[in-house]
Amino acid sequence: MSLLCLGLEGTAHSFGAGVVSSEGKVLSNIWHMLSPVEGGIHPREASRHHSDVGPGIIKRSLKDAGVSHSDIQLVAFSRGPGLGPCLRTTATMARTLAQKLTVPLVGVNHCVAHIEIGCLESGFEDPVTIYVSGGNTQVIAFAGGRFRTFGETLDMALGNMLDVFGRTIGMSFPAGPSIEHAAADGVEYYQLPYSVKGMDLSYSGMLTAAKKLHLEGVPVADICFSIQETAFGMLAEVAERAVAHTKKNEILLTGGVACNNRLTEILEGVAERHGASFHRVSPPLAGDQGAMIAWTGILQHQAGDELPISDSHVMPKWRTDEQDILWRSRF
Amino acid sequence: MLTLGAESAIYIVEYWGMTLALKWRHSKPYVHNKIDKLLRTSRTSRECKMLTFVRALGVPTPAVHSIDISNHSILMDFIEGQQFKQLVNTSSKKRITTLCHEFGKLLGIMHMSDIVHGDPTTSNAVVDMQSKMWLVDFGLAEKNATIEMKGVDMHLLRRAYETTHWALQEIMLESTMEGYVEISGDDAEAVLSRADEIRERGRYH
Repeated sequence: MSLLCLGLEGTAHSFGAGVVSSEGKVLSNIWHMLSPVEGGIHPREASRHHSDVGPGIIKRSLKDAGVSHSDIQLVAFSRGPGLGPCLRTTATMARTLAQKLTVPLVGVNHCVAHIEIGCLESGFEDPVTIYVSGGNTQVIAFAGGRFRTFGETLDMALGNMLDVFGRTIGMSFPAGPSIEHAAADGVEYYQLPYSVKGMDLSYSGMLTAAKKLHLEGVPVADICFSIQETAFGMLAEVAERAVAHTKKNEILLTGGVACNNRLTEILEGVAERHGASFHRVSPPLAGDQGAMIAWTGILQHQAGDELPISDSHVMPKWRTDEQDILWRSRF
Repeated sequence: MLTLGAESAIYIVEYWGMTLALKWRHSKPYVHNKIDKLLRTSRTSRECKMLTFVRALGVPTPAVHSIDISNHSILMDFIEGQQFKQLVNTSSKKRITTLCHEFGKLLGIMHMSDIVHGDPTTSNAVVDMQSKMWLVDFGLAEKNATIEMKGVDMHLLRRAYETTHWALQEIMLESTMEGYVEISGDDAEAVLSRADEIRERGRYH
């Protein structure tokens, strides 16, 4: 029998609500992102944003799905990792809804949700996932009952590096698309620190060097071009190491930075060399949104997971590899 | 071809009446050609130097017979044996801990001479028929290593155990550390606490 789950996402700058059926049909997926006029994301302001827009987004999400409150049989929420104030605001909404509707509550790991919605969309079974966003840069694969982080950034996330550089030169948040646009006119490559350590990487040195190039008067287009080539080249190498190491034959690209076409092109090259299939998660499902939380909530619930309200504290530092992935026992 | 790795392919070749390994860093058309060329050249030359350098310290590595820097290839000894990674799945706990101890010692020897391996995973250690452990893949190795660089090395090692040998990670880490401390003595503490610090820098830990 089909089951409908309402998923709430609110780990960082975006609040989203989505309704997904247990057959894997996304009935609605509404979100709103806080875009500060200047500066970055302040946790307090983001949580304020979530409580302001949350109820409206939840209503719209149900309306869009063509269902009423009483049709919802499960409520899932992003339990972590993320910014504490944002997580708590979202969790409060989820708990209230679950109690009011007297349905079970499920706490979902945000990173795991990105992978699972990507698998749903692509039909991939067991991919190496490249998850790149403003807050995360991780290479993840399933092994021994958990999603394990094979590589990650040792300092800044890729998206964060792009945003901070963009901010320095007057681009608005998020800066990734503007950088991609500017890079299209870049002709000359300037060498930037290429920092790969095993399967980990580091972007802070590149940021400093890029800022310095800007001060020296190097054209913005060339800097953006050089940043993209270096940063994505590093990511490609790490991805390639993970594929060679795990011998998996699917590569999934997700997260906010997945919308970058140059990054996609590079990773397609990696996939081709290693005889792997490649999929880039489509923008509506690659960013932070509720459908991924709802879908993962369904998988978790089907595997017997339920979260009592009294234990439903948020987990701001919940690592991807800290959760037993019960629904993937067949791998 | 023996294996296709992340940045190279390894071929087994007959040369001068010997069986040798040819490591070739192929071009990657999807990476910007300046970056590609720079990495292939610098890593090939670095690997040659480091294989030879750490060998003199007493770390078993394949001897380099010839290098073609313009072709980004190295001709070296072929070590007949098994990857440590594969051995972990088929060996007894006792053998695994002995090998981990040895792995830790080899890293300790390198660190005491301010060399880091750069990618110390169980894929990059080969165990031959006499149970002797050899280290390979020195493309990311560096000289004049600081505590930070050694810390990264130990962090990567722990990460490799976590992701690849999750069921045995505790005992493997413990015996590796024993071997490491046996060689590096009082110098170990600063490196290992830095490794913990680096681990914490990862976004959520």
